[in-house]
Amino acid sequence: MNGPGVIAVTGLRTHVGKRLVERLLGDGARRLIGLDRRRPYRLDERVTFRRIDLVAPTADAQIAALLEEERVEALVHCAFRSDPTPDTELDYELETIGSRNVMTACAAARVRRIVLASSTMVYGPRRDNPNFLTEDHPLRGHPDAHCVQNRVEVESDLQGWLRSHPDAEVTVLRPCWMLGPRHRDGGVRYLTLPVVPTVMGFDPLLQFVHEDDVIHAFERATLAPHPGVFNVVGRGVLPLSMALRLAGRRRVPLPTPLLYRASAAPARAQTGDAPAGFFDYLRYLWVDDGERGWEAFGEPSYSAKEAWISAVSALRMRHYA
Amino acid sequence: MQDTKQDEFVELEAALESLRDEIRCRFPASSRRYGTRAGTPEATVETPGRGAVLVALAAELRERLATLGMREQSAVVDEFGMDEAALHRAGPVLDGLFDTWWRVAVHGLDRLPPTGGCLLAANRSGVVPYDGLMLSHAIARFEPSRTRPAFLVDDRVAGLPFVQPRLARLGGVRACTENTLRLLRAGRRVIAFPEGVRGATKLFRDRYRLQRFSRGGVVRLALETGLPLLPVGIVGAEEAHPVLFKAHRPARAVGLSYLPVTLTFPLLGPFGLVPLPTKWGIRIGEPLALDDLPPDAAQDDRLVSRLTEELRVRVQERVDRALGDRQSVWE
Repeated sequence: MNGPGVIAVTGLRTHVGKRLVERLLGDGARRLIGLDRRRPYRLDERVTFRRIDLVAPTADAQIAALLEEERVEALVHCAFRSDPTPDTELDYELETIGSRNVMTACAAARVRRIVLASSTMVYGPRRDNPNFLTEDHPLRGHPDAHCVQNRVEVESDLQGWLRSHPDAEVTVLRPCWMLGPRHRDGGVRYLTLPVVPTVMGFDPLLQFVHEDDVIHAFERATLAPHPGVFNVVGRGVLPLSMALRLAGRRRVPLPTPLLYRASAAPARAQTGDAPAGFFDYLRYLWVDDGERGWEAFGEPSYSAKEAWISAVSALRMRHYA
Repeated sequence: MQDTKQDEFVELEAALESLRDEIRCRFPASSRRYGTRAGTPEATVETPGRGAVLVALAAELRERLATLGMREQSAVVDEFGMDEAALHRAGPVLDGLFDTWWRVAVHGLDRLPPTGGCLLAANRSGVVPYDGLMLSHAIARFEPSRTRPAFLVDDRVAGLPFVQPRLARLGGVRACTENTLRLLRAGRRVIAFPEGVRGATKLFRDRYRLQRFSRGGVVRLALETGLPLLPVGIVGAEEAHPVLFKAHRPARAVGLSYLPVTLTFPLLGPFGLVPLPTKWGIRIGEPLALDDLPPDAAQDDRLVSRLTEELRVRVQERVDRALGDRQSVWE
């Protein structure tokens, strides 16, 4: 594969950023610029690291200068939190304002190809969701999940940006809960606790995607033009109860008022949000139609169930390996 | 302050992660399955020495151990959450309801197309979607080799705690255009209730009088997909839970829109939820003639509403026939 010769990746220390850089380095045919607030531990020496703080007031100018200087041809923007932090304001600055800075810089430096890491959580868990959400479904997010709301805002910003830059090749990838032996999203980490309190009376279908499949989709989107929005999901669905039974986790269904009240304090301490912002994702459907993504990036190598098994078994073996 | 602490924590995690990576690199065999993409050709060992065999064996053992108790479980649901194992477990109960409790008499199963999807439009009766369950059970028993038809459940029921997950395992799908279209395109047969919520909330005195069909969605879907649309009359379900009147005020207090008051509910408490053993009849009619229509018929609102009305009349006909089959509510 040819593709762009110089690629910049923001959020080098996120899982996707790190793994994508590793993957793109593979054949050594291109130059990689990694951007982050701090230098990652044990960075491959072929990667050019540039310190950039997206929250800094002049970040857009800094990034623009950097992109021009390095003659970057494609930019992968994955400087997003994989888990929300209690500092909601910093998260907002980093994700929403930071993305705006990146977009401004890309426009100034005429970087044509942009790949944005979003998430299918932006559709929001709703009682009236159809069983399979397509990419055209409105992004309703969840009012109590600030990181999700940030991404919704970033995506709508991006749509506005696209109107003034119609020749840009922008790919938005929306993976669902990503998991595998090396990474688990926050929601998945919750599901792999030994005892898992769930919402009584609800057993939604969950969807997972394996980390390798996500990285693969990002690689393909970076190397060849795939303008548009794509859900990146595994095939098949797994009911919450079945997933927990497979993993040997104990499910403790609690009545909604009790669960939401009892978890209010810990949820706020950990995510800065009301518990509904997380538990509603274990209550209503938000399964997505991955057909468009599979067509563009190829068949995923793991189904939702296989991905779940792969993550759980790796977790089990962590004590021995 | 907090920020630096967090950064330190992240740093520590990263260090740990890279340590793990290191270990995986040292023992490539143990990360054989997870380290590489499945499907990429791996370096094959041409002449396996004793060491290689041992490593492979250890990796195999590790893999077995890691997934112990997981691969054996046949945890599979279809994409709408229908669970064959759960259906199998529920089989005796469904059979009991079908044969003994309601003694369902079914006519016209041979009118179903032998292959491909189709839409069945039935009259809706009762709050609990027993009717959909029984019709899909009748069809599943008639053609056990084919996938069970899905029955659509209206929003109000589809959002109910406890009810929703169970219905989904038994083949219930929330009624909306996207879901129906997806099911039909996948070749599934779909049981729809065009009366919608109005049908489910009918009073006993209005039984078997079909309500206005909402929006003509069923007809539109049949036209769009070009699949047959069959009218179905279901009789007996209305008397299983005869709703005398709807109590609105006490229901608001618990967050429901109304509370159906039947002969036995809420008088007998939870026992009042047991449906009465009425005599059931199901009649499946000839498919509607939709073939010689213009291709853009689905966009023609007047045509759609005319066909919807025709469908309503045909369903009413089936209901009346089925009512004529019975001597009384019980026989």
